[in-house]
Order: sequence, then C-alpha cells, then structure tokens
Amino acid sequence: MSKSFTRVKTIAKKEIVEFVRDWRTIVAIIVIPLLMFPVLFIVFPILLESEAAELDSLTVLVEIQGQEIPESLILEFNNTSIIIEQVNMTFNQSLSIPGEDVDRVRNMEVDAVLRIESREDIWYYSIIYLSTSESSTEARSRTIDSLIRWENGLTEARIIEGGLEPETTLDPLRWDGDNRSADVATVGEQAGLILSLFIPLVLSVWTFSSAIQPSIDMTAGERERGTLEALLSLPCTRGELLLGKWLGVASITGVGVLLQIMGLLFAIGYLASSDFIGVPELSATATLLIVISIMLFAIMIVALELALAMRSHSVKEAGSILAPAIILIIFPALFTQVINLDGIESFWFAIPVVNVLLALRELLLDRVIFEHVLIWSMTSLFYATMAAYYATKQFNREDIVTTLS
Amino acid sequence: MSESLLQISGVHKEFGDVKALNGVSFEIRSGEVVGLVGSNGAGKTTLLRLMSGVYRPTRGDITLSNGTPVHKMRDSLGVVPESTGLYSRLTAWENIRYHSRLYGIDDEVSWARTVKFAESLDMEDNLSRYTKGFSRGMRQKTALLRALAHGPKVLLLDEPTAGLDITSARTVRALVNQLKDEGGTVVYSTHQLFEAQQVCDRIIVIHNGVLKANGSPSELMSQTGCNSLEEAYVNLTQEKARMRFEDAKEDNGISKWWNKLFRPKTPIIQVLSGGDEDE
Repeated sequence: MSKSFTRVKTIAKKEIVEFVRDWRTIVAIIVIPLLMFPVLFIVFPILLESEAAELDSLTVLVEIQGQEIPESLILEFNNTSIIIEQVNMTFNQSLSIPGEDVDRVRNMEVDAVLRIESREDIWYYSIIYLSTSESSTEARSRTIDSLIRWENGLTEARIIEGGLEPETTLDPLRWDGDNRSADVATVGEQAGLILSLFIPLVLSVWTFSSAIQPSIDMTAGERERGTLEALLSLPCTRGELLLGKWLGVASITGVGVLLQIMGLLFAIGYLASSDFIGVPELSATATLLIVISIMLFAIMIVALELALAMRSHSVKEAGSILAPAIILIIFPALFTQVINLDGIESFWFAIPVVNVLLALRELLLDRVIFEHVLIWSMTSLFYATMAAYYATKQFNREDIVTTLS
Repeated sequence: MSESLLQISGVHKEFGDVKALNGVSFEIRSGEVVGLVGSNGAGKTTLLRLMSGVYRPTRGDITLSNGTPVHKMRDSLGVVPESTGLYSRLTAWENIRYHSRLYGIDDEVSWARTVKFAESLDMEDNLSRYTKGFSRGMRQKTALLRALAHGPKVLLLDEPTAGLDITSARTVRALVNQLKDEGGTVVYSTHQLFEAQQVCDRIIVIHNGVLKANGSPSELMSQTGCNSLEEAYVNLTQEKARMRFEDAKEDNGISKWWNKLFRPKTPIIQVLSGGDEDE
C-alpha cells in the first residue's frame, strides 16, 4: 500500500471516528434519514386516518333556516350524524350574508347554518360556517353531502316527471370494464414514475444538506479550533488532506443517503403490500447508471461544500454560505419535476444539477437513452472535476491557517 | 561547532501589502535550543510556520542541512503550534497516534516514545482520556507528546508556556531542558525574556519582521551595552510595534463596504458617557 493512500485512509478514518462520536451526529445521519420516509408514508397516514375517524364520530349541530323545508331533505339529514334544528323564516337579502348568525357560528352555538329557499322551480341555498373550526367545516361538508343526495333524488324525480329514464339521461357515456387494465404501463413502470417524482429531489437535497455539517466541521471547524495548523505541518500533502476529508464527508453523507433510501424502500414495500404502489422494475444497466449518477453528483457536491467551507474563516461564516446554498439544489430539483421527459432536448442533460436529476428521473422509468447517458455522465464528470479543482485551490491557500477567532 | 540542521537564508514573507518578514537569515545547529523572541505581531509565528512548511517564503530559502527545502522534509520536524491543535473527541493517545501515522510511524514505536516523555510530563494517566476536558497545561503537554512521538530532528514550539500555570510551565521548560541534554534541537518562540534566558542557548530577537539580534543572552547584553537582557531587548526594539498581519489585513469587496457601513464611528466610552469627555 502506498504511503499516500495510507495517509488518505488515516485522515478519512479519523474524520469519521471523530464525527460519529458526537451523538447528535448519529441522530442526524442514522436515525432521521432512516425514519423519515416510514414516518411520512406509514405513521403519518395512520395518524390522519385516526384523526378522520375521530372526526367521523363527531355529532354536529346544523340549523336549517327557511320556509316550507321539504320533508325529503329533512329525511336525508336524519340518515346522518347531524342534529338539526329547524327555524321557520324568510329572507330579504342574499342567503350568503351571515347577518346575525355571525356570532352564533363563531361562538359555536351551532356548527353551521343552512339557509334554503325556493324561487319558482329552483332551490337556492347557502351554508354559514367557520372555516377555522374543524367541527364547523365538518358540519358544512356533511350538509353538502346531504344536499347532493337530496338534489340527485330531486333531479331523478323531475326526469321521470318529464317521461325520461334517469339512468340513460344522466349517464349516457360510460367506461367499459376496469380502467386500470387499459394502461399498457406495467405496475413496475407506474411505480417508477411515482418514485421518479420525488427520489431525485430527496437524493439531491439530502446529499447536499447532510454534507454541510461534516464539511464545515472538517474545514472551517478545524480552522477555528486551531487544529489545521498542526495538520498542515505534517508530511501529508494538501491534496491528500483534501482527499481524506472528502472521503470522510462522502462516507458520512453516503451512509445518510443510503439509510434514507432504505427507509424509503421499506415504506414503499409497506405501501406495495397495500396495493398503493408497486415495486419499480429496473434493468441492471439502469440500476448501475443510477449509482454512477449519484456518485458523480456526490463527488461534485461534497468537493464544492468542502471548498466553500474551507474558504470561510469561521464555522459561522461557512454556515451562512452553505445553508442558503441549498436553494441551488431545491430550485433545479423542483424545476426538473415539471420537465416533460418525452422528446426532451439533449441540452437539459448538460446543465449542472439538472442533468443528474433528469438522469435519475429517466433511469427510474427504466429508460436508458445512450445520448442522454453520454451527455450527463460527461458533463457530471466535468463538473465534479471542476469542483475538485476548486477545492484543491482552496486547500492550497496559505491563509487557511489563520482564523477570525 | 555542531552541524547546521536548518538554514534560513534571506527569507521574506508578504501577505498582500503586508510585509510579515523582511530578509531574515540565521541557522539552527544540532543540539541547541534557540529562542525566537519578539513582541506580538513581530513575525515569530510567521517564521515558525515558514520553518514548519505551512507557509512558503515569498523570497529566500529555508532548507535542511542537505539543501532540501523544509516543506519537502517535514517528517524531520515536530511542531507545537500556539493553539495546540488537539481534537477534543479523540483521546490524548489517539491524537498522538493520528499524527504519528501521518508521519508513517508504527503505533508501537510512537507509543514507546509517548510513554517515555509522558512520564516526564506526568501525563501517563491521561493518555486514554478524551482531550475535551483537558486544561490548557494538559493540552500543551499532549501537543508536545504528539510532536515528539515520531522522533523529530528539530522541535518547533510556538509560545509553549503561554497561558500555562506556573507548575505546568516549569514542567514544559524541564522537558525542553531534558531534550537539550539528550542532544535534541529546539526552536522556542516566546515573548518572555526570563524564560528565553532560562531555556535557550541562543536568542534571536525579531521585531516588526526584521531580525534585530542573534546570539547568546550574554552576547546580546554586550552587543547593546546593557546590564540585563530586558534592557538589551528594549534597546533593540525601540521602533513602535505593528499590528499582527491578520489584523492589519484590509477587507475587500462586499466585506469592506459592509464593515464601513456598520463600523461604530464614535468610541463606545464616549457614547456611554454622554458623548462629551471634556466635561
């Protein structure tokens, strides 16, 4: 083993050991990435379901105001968990103007007020409610459901009165069979499409954000703590130092991203068992290219972050540069979500950050287009080299031993 | 006369417009303890960084006896910077081992040397402890052990007793004397004259980046016609001391504009006292 390689390995190993000895790091790079997607996709829906069930069991009070309220409408309400109070009254202005009911609804004396009035053959209505109150919103929603059912009955009755068949009149165009079977995309491809909408986003944002802390700690942090001077007086070159630190940051970031993907796959597996989403079908080539694209992206990002952090005189300065720089990832990531991949122009695959994100989207759909692969791999390699060159330049600066503290 | 180990020839160091060192020349001979004495901002740390290969001279050379530039032979040097530079999440021994491995020294060899000097510094029991809770003295001792573990030819110490309590400072000085007795070569930067007189065979006085004197304490006194080293030093350094070059460096670009905008224009004492000092 060459001396240079041994030194790089020693630096990387020390960086990792020192970094993981901080429990906060363990939480940041292991616990959070591992739990993020399962919490988002499994626990969060369960919580939502339980909240919805709680809301379903709620009994709401609705006051129905109007003259000659149809019995059939009252019957619709009687079949729900709505308690109704009828008030016989007429209206001399628009039904939507709350008037004196403002305070009654705001003070929760009633959850909602339904006003209904017949003018010639048309029924007019409005629902006075408080949108910031869950029970009031629920009362409105249930009232609307009841009104729709009642309206359907009314419509059917009027169609029959006119001598027509309600079913053929209201539904003259129908899908034949199961509409899912008409999609020629396989379940795996459909899953790939769904995943391609957020995996590139997650990977890029997480790679960038999880590299921030170790990058700063290993550069500006060392500078601030005064450990860099002792290190620079050692026989290792600055190139070895950069490579060792890069390996350290890349390993920590890699673990974080890997764990996050594992969490994501676990969540997908869970959802797949409930027929929500399938498992994406990826060829070996697409899988390999996904790994290569992520690696090239990580090389570029980590080198860039190390360089920017090394330029900074303090941890604070490095943080104030790197934290907002995440916008440089988020914006392209969101932008690439809306780019249509069918017939996409090749130049998109040459734009930094966008190229890798598009490559990931395409590969997750199992589309391996040689021209695109060539462009994104070459440009990514170029950007990664440029970032590494920039980082080398920063590490070769003499003033990296001086601090502001 | 003992052999020359390190030669500093016409060394200039500039940081932009700031001239940190101006044509400094001297040599370090084997087995001697050389004191670098000067006020804050004199250029001692810059010179030590040049000698350790962290900085490169703007002009001039710093070479080892075989003519090799010092930055290519850094394994001949042991360096203790002023900040000590210890990693708080590593133990004392892990800090030492990390540097030794980067010097290419086997763990067994560096451990044996560490234990030997740790006894002198009363640090044996602290080697397996994390350095996070270490006192300034313990940190300094650990940094010394780290610099000695690979058996350097020259040891460069930047103000090794600064901020240390009396006992720790004595222990550090005792170690330097021990090294001298064993034939070691040490460059010892300090701004305390009594310490330089106690420890060093030869004193180099640097002031505002210029070498003002180079000789034994008695030579400096006779050179200046003074009865004490302190008087000799004052005599040699009458010119007003400048700022450290880091402080003297001007901001540029946005920082300059920003600082100009927010720099307080009135001394804070005036603000607090109502703005009129004459009253």
